[in-house]
Amino acid sequence: MNDERTTRLDRMRFTKNTTSANLALLAIIFNLCFFISIYESDVGSWYYTILVGGSILYNLIFMLAAFLASEGIKNYKIGYSYLMIVLGIIQIVRIFIYPVKAHNAVVTIQEQAVTVMEGAQFTRVVLYLVLSAACLFAGAIVGIIRSRALEGHLATLESKAA
Amino acid sequence: MAELKIQHVDKIYDNNVQAVFDFNLDVKDGELIVLVGPSGCGKSTTLRMIAGLEDISAGHLLLDGKDITQAPAKDRDMAMVFQNYALYGHMTIYENMAFSLTLRKENPNVIHKKVLAAAEILGLTSQLNKKPSQLSGGQRQRVAMGRSIVRNPKVFLFDEPLSNLDAKLRGATRREILLLHKRLKATMLYVTHDQTEALTLADRIVCMSMGHVQQVGTPIELYDAPANKFVASFIGLPPMNFFDVTVREGMLEGKGFTVPLSEEEKGILLPYAGKEIDLGVRPEDVAADGSINMKVFSNENLGMNTLVHGHIGGSEAASNKISAKLRGWCDYKEGDNVGVSFSRKHFFDKESGNAIRKGESK
Repeated sequence: MNDERTTRLDRMRFTKNTTSANLALLAIIFNLCFFISIYESDVGSWYYTILVGGSILYNLIFMLAAFLASEGIKNYKIGYSYLMIVLGIIQIVRIFIYPVKAHNAVVTIQEQAVTVMEGAQFTRVVLYLVLSAACLFAGAIVGIIRSRALEGHLATLESKAA
Repeated sequence: MAELKIQHVDKIYDNNVQAVFDFNLDVKDGELIVLVGPSGCGKSTTLRMIAGLEDISAGHLLLDGKDITQAPAKDRDMAMVFQNYALYGHMTIYENMAFSLTLRKENPNVIHKKVLAAAEILGLTSQLNKKPSQLSGGQRQRVAMGRSIVRNPKVFLFDEPLSNLDAKLRGATRREILLLHKRLKATMLYVTHDQTEALTLADRIVCMSMGHVQQVGTPIELYDAPANKFVASFIGLPPMNFFDVTVREGMLEGKGFTVPLSEEEKGILLPYAGKEIDLGVRPEDVAADGSINMKVFSNENLGMNTLVHGHIGGSEAASNKISAKLRGWCDYKEGDNVGVSFSRKHFFDKESGNAIRKGESK
């Protein structure tokens, strides 16, 4: 059993952390789904305020950062795991910025009160952000565990060699 | 345990060109067989038929007694090393070596152990995280060999693996292959057009020409007792000299020269009395201490030896041309006359080109 664990650790010297990297890419995909879904209802151009510019900018930054984190974590660089945690927290915070606000907002169209983001769309959009954040947290946790394990294994190998 | 039997194998392409004629060979377990011959002689085709990359037109292929003639390449338990390495450029050396086992869905820990063991054998441990483009040609070829080793196949097939390497690296990698064979004790078939590779690596050599097997034997057998003029001229560097001679009483008579025969040689050539034959003399069997006159036209000093080219018998005919590998540093000038003798002679039938040997009559 111990030998099997050592071999598993030793394998990490030559294999990439594809689990974490793929989870980061999946987070980008869920973010894309969120980004596309918010346009389904644009009641009274509610969304077209300064919010749209900031949202587009952040989405670009998020995709770039998540992709960099994916590449970095693939090579067991622990710093990118922390970046993924930060990105995950921001994804959760985003729920309270646009989806919640839009869900609570009501506009009057032809003298009728209409909710900007209806229940079903709201649930879906929130779900995409939650899934994106979950992928980032999971990838980061796996990354931290593996990076630390590899670090420990390399230290053992070095001490053995010395 | 891996014994390979190749029985009456032919290869006929769709355009009716026959590349291989009646190929027969029994490869023993752990033997290193080298298929040698000039370009287009059918050696690579034969290897590809064994690997399952070409269909066999006729004949049978048996591995450990099991007929694998029609078996697909993946089921033959053979690994092939190609001239161009065939490595995946986007994968690391580790991933390249592990790839075939990953495809077979083997346990990753088992794969890891096999890859590390193969890398250790080939001295690639420190290169495992690199990409093929970061390695030299020799190292890439070692990776290709490593990829075969991890599979632990019954038979290793090498298709001119050293042809892309420079001369120095070729020599070094050749020695590595030899060491690898000794270490793995595996059955190996190796194709090359380089007779030096064949002589240095092989347990037995299969010499081919025009799709036909010319001779199968140990390196020394092919060098010392070539079966015919083709083998005699192909094996050995510089190639064997050939002279048109007539068998006379106690001697051979060429154009403007005579060569004395020993009692044994007289006996061998008895059935050929009065007939024309081909006399073959290796350059290293020519000594500068005889009565046959050689007129020098070029002198190449090689350090330990000197390669002297000239004509014998006072004739400048092509059939009187001779190359002599003389010991030591010689400094002959063009036009110098040197008395030479032949310490060993080979005789060939003029019509068939086959070697004339003791006990064989025309």
